[in-house]
Amino acid sequence: MNRVLKPAAVLLAAILVFLLPGWLGGVHGAFAVIAIMAVAAYGLDIVVSDLGEVSLAHTVFFAAGAYATGLLATRLGFGSWATLFGAIAVGTLIALALGLVTLSLREFVFSLVTYAATVVAAAIAHNWNVLGGSDGVSGIPTLDLSLGPVRLAATNDAELWPYAFALLLIALYAIRQFRRSRLGAMAMMVHLNPRLATMSGIDVRRVRLAVFVLSAPFSAAAGWLYAYQRAYIGPDLFETYFLVLMLTAVVLVGRRRLFGPLIGTALVVGQERFLSFGGDVNAIILGGALVTALALLPGGLDGLFRRLVTRPTTPAPVPEARPLAQP
Amino acid sequence: MNLVQQLINGIVLGHAYALIAVGWTVLLGVARLVNFGHGQIYMLAAFVTWWAVAGLGLPYPVAILVAMAAGVVIGLIMQAAMLRLTFTQDLVSIMIVTLGFGHMMRGIAGLVFGGQPQVLETPLSYIDFEVAGAWVTAQDMAVIIVSIIAFALLHFVLERGSLGRTARMVAEDPKLAQLAGIDVRKVYFSVFAFEGAAVALASALVAPRTPILTSIGFEEVIVTFVVVVLGGIGSVAGSYVAGLGLGIFTALFGGFVSPAYATTAAFGVLIVVLVLRPSGLALGAGGGRR
Repeated sequence: MNRVLKPAAVLLAAILVFLLPGWLGGVHGAFAVIAIMAVAAYGLDIVVSDLGEVSLAHTVFFAAGAYATGLLATRLGFGSWATLFGAIAVGTLIALALGLVTLSLREFVFSLVTYAATVVAAAIAHNWNVLGGSDGVSGIPTLDLSLGPVRLAATNDAELWPYAFALLLIALYAIRQFRRSRLGAMAMMVHLNPRLATMSGIDVRRVRLAVFVLSAPFSAAAGWLYAYQRAYIGPDLFETYFLVLMLTAVVLVGRRRLFGPLIGTALVVGQERFLSFGGDVNAIILGGALVTALALLPGGLDGLFRRLVTRPTTPAPVPEARPLAQP
Repeated sequence: MNLVQQLINGIVLGHAYALIAVGWTVLLGVARLVNFGHGQIYMLAAFVTWWAVAGLGLPYPVAILVAMAAGVVIGLIMQAAMLRLTFTQDLVSIMIVTLGFGHMMRGIAGLVFGGQPQVLETPLSYIDFEVAGAWVTAQDMAVIIVSIIAFALLHFVLERGSLGRTARMVAEDPKLAQLAGIDVRKVYFSVFAFEGAAVALASALVAPRTPILTSIGFEEVIVTFVVVVLGGIGSVAGSYVAGLGLGIFTALFGGFVSPAYATTAAFGVLIVVLVLRPSGLALGAGGGRR
């Protein structure tokens, strides 16, 4: 029963979310950005939630994907499949290099080196003419994933939304599979008890490097689609806004929740798109949300919600729930 | 002539770097805490100094005190929000929270002081000296002198006095320190208040050298980190030497190779150090100097 019902419910929910921007009056642009930024946040999510390290370099992977796409599409005339491959390759290579350098670093030293990498990448993007300098690269063509006779192209936000949604579904599936995989289990063990992991014969450094490198393609692929969505890339991709957005998305709802980063991104981007108070106030709200989620709400919004829901009814449902859960 | 000028620039810059990093040195060495909002406190304090001089018409030395008071308030607010995380030693969450505070501070600065770049003209910047054919302003001299005083005081207070012993005990084992009758909360609050005041002091002295924008502060965090790591985490004398070395390196690199990539070069130095002696830098669970 459950085996049929659950996928059906998931499918129904996916269809509803897919149709939602149309019903809300054509807000496909905002939804596409939410999906793209959520995918970028999922890359950070497996490093923060599963590995337990705070990487501040995921904006670099995101921007690297966008830059690779913009440069390959405008300078070399590559198609969208080739730029996707290029974006993922560049993001992964940078992650590999950074991962090797930071292999034996932990906690805040790891975070500061990744943060330094972001600042340096921003300096390079601002100053190196090959990357377009501070002007960036404009005139990126629209997305075209056509395969032979099948036309798969997007010339506006409404047409781009299905591709952003598809990318999001792929990312969600990949994260789910990662958490069920051997590597995912090893990452949790390395995170929670590094000594036990070592005693069990797990190569801690290799697991850390593997998860870090694996997380980069998510953010890079998000950057790939973001370049097509904006048709322009520039050094503003390295702004702390993207970093704080991804971090907030990861921690706002609660860690290791499959839909956490998606809901977090939707709340933050939704506020900016539909309830904006201007850039400065939005920055205060975003930073404040990050502080509140960690300092005042242990367990994030999910933890708060659970406490609010379960507190008045804790004595009653416990004996009832068990027999029901059996079949 | 050019080399002498760059060397003198480097010495000034080095003292500025050391002064900017002094709050972090104490924060990390004494309380094993970190603050990624460091650069934004620097930025906000620069605006407060500018506002106190240009808006309120206060004399520059009083403006420095106003900025330091603002730094103390910011430090206390941050520590008050993070007290639970501090007691559980949740360093990962503390890092993210301080980043969130940094983002908030940037928004607040934009809201209160606007997006226009401001220039702070201090009376000291009009006085020039000629040293061995190179020019130095009194502002530069003030940076050097205050930096040396700050480090000398810190050295005597932290590494000689009973205050330093108390603080180190809290850093090593907060629970044991509490059992020994030390008010751990007070230590944490004082350390963060000192961090805020120290960055603000550095900012009030160093920031007039460049235009003041809401986007400044990022390079200061990287510089601070390089100084703290190169100097040996928590070492007061080490931070001073590392700051000076990094300042001279940056000035020479900026003067003779490329000013745009000076921070990148500093990062390169950091990477080399990390690859050469990574074990000494791994702080936290089981590693490092503990």
